[in-house]
Amino acid sequence: MNQNDSTYRLAARDAIESRFARSIAACLTESAQTVAPDVAERLRFAREKALETARLARDGAAVHGLGVTSSGAAIAGFRHSRWWLRFASVLPLVALVGGLVLIQDWQNRTQISVAAEVDEALLGDDLPINAYRDPGFSEFLKAPPSE
Amino acid sequence: MATDKELSDFLKSVEKRAWKRAVYAVRDDDAALDIVQDTMIRLSEKYADRPPAELPLLFQRILSNATMDWFRRQKVRNQVVRNFSEFETAGSDGDFDILETLEALGGPLQSESVADSVSRAQILQMIDAEVARLPARQREAFLLRYWEELDVAETAASMGCSEGSVKTHCSRAVHALAKALKAKGITT
Repeated sequence: MNQNDSTYRLAARDAIESRFARSIAACLTESAQTVAPDVAERLRFAREKALETARLARDGAAVHGLGVTSSGAAIAGFRHSRWWLRFASVLPLVALVGGLVLIQDWQNRTQISVAAEVDEALLGDDLPINAYRDPGFSEFLKAPPSE
Repeated sequence: MATDKELSDFLKSVEKRAWKRAVYAVRDDDAALDIVQDTMIRLSEKYADRPPAELPLLFQRILSNATMDWFRRQKVRNQVVRNFSEFETAGSDGDFDILETLEALGGPLQSESVADSVSRAQILQMIDAEVARLPARQREAFLLRYWEELDVAETAASMGCSEGSVKTHCSRAVHALAKALKAKGITT
């Protein structure tokens, strides 16, 4: 019986405390509505700045996600994106070295081809090749053609 | 994820209360504005992707942390410790009976014998001042629990203490306020 009374009193006390606290809170809310204009303005500025920050944070996250997709790592999963980025950064260098090797090879082939043509012309001519070693023939070739 | 409008509406709904809470804590209007701005930006920067329902508790936690950061920056740790220690010694209301003071509960705020001479604005100002006079932890618990309408568990999580401590802080705050307002001739 006494225990019931005690429980009842505690519950009643809690209820009264709670009602009192809420009425005080209502007064605080009413009081907080009437802030000075400069305070209200600074709060508005802070809010707008925060919203701008939120937009930037969301955009940053979206760009990061897009980067992963464009690198082709979306299928492989987010954690492979670094490997793909490294591969993508090395790719132009590999292409450059490959291009230089191809150009070198093409130049070598061209030089060999030109030398072969000269050899072919010399060997196929009626004039014997030893004639070019003769000083008199060299002078003849250097001299201007006469009438 | 909270949309821009949801985030804006939420911030709009809490900004004035947040500023008042910060003013109670640091007793400096400009510093309180800085704290609220810092809180809003931290929330937007780190938690803009959270659902709207999670924002109130996150905001209260960040506000508490930002306030503590301000105290650290001001190097007034001693003041904080003193405020905390007030909680340890305060609260022995002795023979003061809240039931007696609050017996007439239920109606709107009113004054006793000086009802006609004290304007409502003055009463609100007095209540404001008495809340500001509460020990820091009691005030924090009271405001989170009854003004921000967090439940006991959320208040405890926000304050980093047990639910029992929250109940004790709230009860002591209510008793202290009732006693102070009674002394000024104000009842609820």
